[in-house]
Amino acid sequence: MILVPVTYRGGIYRHDEIVALIEDLGGYIVQKHTLAQEVVLQCFVPKDDIELIRTIAKPLAGEVTDSPLVGTEIAVVIPSLEIHHLPHPACDIAEYSRRLGAKSNMVGMARGVGKRIAGINDEERDVINEHDIAVYVLGNFEVCIEHKIPILRRGVEVPIVLCGAPDKETLERITKPAVDGYVGNVGRFMHRTKESDELAKLDEIIAEITRVLERKREEIAKDPLSVSPARLMDVIREQVPAILDVTSPTPLTVQMAGLRVKLPYDSYASVLKKTVIEDGITIGDVSEIVPSRMRDYILVKILPFSSTNVVV
Amino acid sequence: MTSIEYFEVECTEPLGGEYYRQITNDVLLDHNLLRVIHKLHVYIDPNVPVFVACGMLKKITSLVRVRDFVNVNPLEGKMILVISNETYLAPMLKIFWQRFGKDHVEQPDRFTVVLYDLAVDPKEIEEIIIADPSEALYKDLIYAFRCIAPEGFRVRREVYGKERFSFISSEDTLTASSDALVAEKFRLMGEEP
Repeated sequence: MILVPVTYRGGIYRHDEIVALIEDLGGYIVQKHTLAQEVVLQCFVPKDDIELIRTIAKPLAGEVTDSPLVGTEIAVVIPSLEIHHLPHPACDIAEYSRRLGAKSNMVGMARGVGKRIAGINDEERDVINEHDIAVYVLGNFEVCIEHKIPILRRGVEVPIVLCGAPDKETLERITKPAVDGYVGNVGRFMHRTKESDELAKLDEIIAEITRVLERKREEIAKDPLSVSPARLMDVIREQVPAILDVTSPTPLTVQMAGLRVKLPYDSYASVLKKTVIEDGITIGDVSEIVPSRMRDYILVKILPFSSTNVVV
Repeated sequence: MTSIEYFEVECTEPLGGEYYRQITNDVLLDHNLLRVIHKLHVYIDPNVPVFVACGMLKKITSLVRVRDFVNVNPLEGKMILVISNETYLAPMLKIFWQRFGKDHVEQPDRFTVVLYDLAVDPKEIEEIIIADPSEALYKDLIYAFRCIAPEGFRVRREVYGKERFSFISSEDTLTASSDALVAEKFRLMGEEP
């Protein structure tokens, strides 16, 4: 059964029928937003059943759209959290990717500014490495990007998409070794992205992120995960009731090959480790449970089939 | 940028220059400073690295006096001041309290201030200086250029006064050649450095 990421958008009236349907079909709801009279479900559903969901949702005025970024966690990396980069363009990019289903986090560096003085520290590097992809939003000058990108990417192992004011070809030329994706003509600016060409640029960033993530998905598919992150999310939600008391918008953040559990590591790591998924196989058997560098959260890294010889 | 007579952004990277032109425009517009700038020259060289902004300001509105926003009506033993604009009400009251004492100043409602038992000519009251808008203006201008300049350029020197200003920033120590650079940019605008 191939699960595909989609977004369901519809009225609150009878939306529970859609929720039940997705669960009955073997799909998973990653995130549910209720905004006044509207419900947005970000979910994984079986590819063959999308049409069925569409048909059932039609009388409820619900619509199902493809959301390639559902189930991914993106780091938007910016040189600092100062007015120079926020809210434009960093927040615009983070918000736009969130609309398409991703969980985006902003990583503002302590000393990422400037050319000669730019640097990255171990905490920033580790936090970036906890994500599926890092989108570096840099500035307007070719010479600065060329000088600082090797420093800012030091130790970063996740795929990188680089955004900057020079065009794509120039970014490709000045980045050595090459990163995974490039979006040119998105430098530092200080106005809201609302013109059609600016929105097209945001679409281009999303397309590039999707392309890079698709490649990562293909890599993962070569040695499949022992358990799907979305399934693991469901298991934790059912068996660890403490997660229901977490007030964070996404107490369980689904990633492509793991899960961020927003519970304190010291008290809950052993509980998670012993949680049974199926037939006596525990979460500890199929994944590595490590403390996250983000607050005191837990990071569950799912092991591939080749390491566990188990698929649940 | 129609209200600025001269506006140039000079940069060693043309595309970067275009972006900085847009940033300068946006920031000055957001801070409502376009109306006060007469000439502006921005120079950026990321190779050095250095950021220079220098310019001339329009004739700044003269000092704000009581007569600019108050109508003084002298009556027997008191003066009724009718306020048309509240912007400078608080500093005006402060000055009155200091000068005449709180016993002689009363504010019965939002737009009225009454001065009691003062042996002062109403003309003299009208001439009292309440504020100097240029002080805040220069501070706002420098803040705006801090937003415009690349963030890593944290070594700064700002000079302002007499309807002109210059702002220079870099990552490295500023040397005597920085002043020569500012002077050169003033000359480009057709102004004496």
